[in-house]
Amino acid sequence: MDFESIPWMLILPLLVIQLILILVAIIDLIRVSNTNGPKWLWALIIVLGNLIGPIIYFIVGRRNE
Amino acid sequence: MSNFSVLFQKEWRENVRNFKILWIPLVFLLFGISDPLTNYYLPQILNAVGNMPEGTVFPFPELTPEQIVMTTVSQYQFIGMLVITLGFAGIISRERKNGTSTFLYVRPISYMSYVYSKFSVMCILVIGSVILGLLANLYYTNVLFGAVGAGAFVGFLGTYIVWLLFVVSIVLFSSAAFSTAIASIVSLALVLFVQFIDALLGAYWTISPWKIPMYAGYVLNGSVDKTPFIWSLIITLLAIVILILGAVYFAKRNISKTKI
Repeated sequence: MDFESIPWMLILPLLVIQLILILVAIIDLIRVSNTNGPKWLWALIIVLGNLIGPIIYFIVGRRNE
Repeated sequence: MSNFSVLFQKEWRENVRNFKILWIPLVFLLFGISDPLTNYYLPQILNAVGNMPEGTVFPFPELTPEQIVMTTVSQYQFIGMLVITLGFAGIISRERKNGTSTFLYVRPISYMSYVYSKFSVMCILVIGSVILGLLANLYYTNVLFGAVGAGAFVGFLGTYIVWLLFVVSIVLFSSAAFSTAIASIVSLALVLFVQFIDALLGAYWTISPWKIPMYAGYVLNGSVDKTPFIWSLIITLLAIVILILGAVYFAKRNISKTKI
């Protein structure tokens, strides 16, 4: 499948939403004072963990105190 | 009632500040969009990454639009419920632990409006996210597979919202009764594990709150058996009321566990 034949109009919203999710997680990671475990590890999980990464960070990584 | 609006605003502000207001709708939206897309492009995806030998033919089943919506719902039933139960498990117990409730309990607030403010914020977040996700899913299904009947979809959505209310009240109840860790285990067991058991052994009974998502699917297909469906709805609504009253009772009883 070559580049032009990919239906970008359909896939673009998916990519945009995923990007927003990653951005929100990163902003939250910067703002929050401490997390469960080292911060740099969470940054890696958020960026590399594509869809599941930010979700895992929000559920497990945030320390709500 | 002024009690309630103040507590509601506090709850709302907390959920804005910890970004729950943003990431929970995004997660449901993401799963709602990705499911029709992957189902539609599965042959091409397999061609591109599958390393299939030349001439392999897969007989892909022709999926109806209703089936696509139901695969998304089964996605929500696992990952969505995981997000809801784990994300909100601390909604009352966390306040006991970090001392917020000390500020609340010294004031003459009614526990009913305290629990009710939490319940309404959770409902707005959870139900709003699911409706958003399902509408996006409906749009994509419409574009890629074909139309779903509007009346059937509304009936399906209403039935599924009853299930969501049930889940929200389970989480609220266990958070009021136990500490955060135990509350997340209890609500996960009640939502996911019991549902699994119900799917495994549930052929022997037809009336159960955990069958509501299944009935929602039947409503979408237009083949629902009215009597057990209505009775399940009634039982579920009763269970919701009992769980919320239980949450109020336990929130009052656990004052002594507050960290000062």
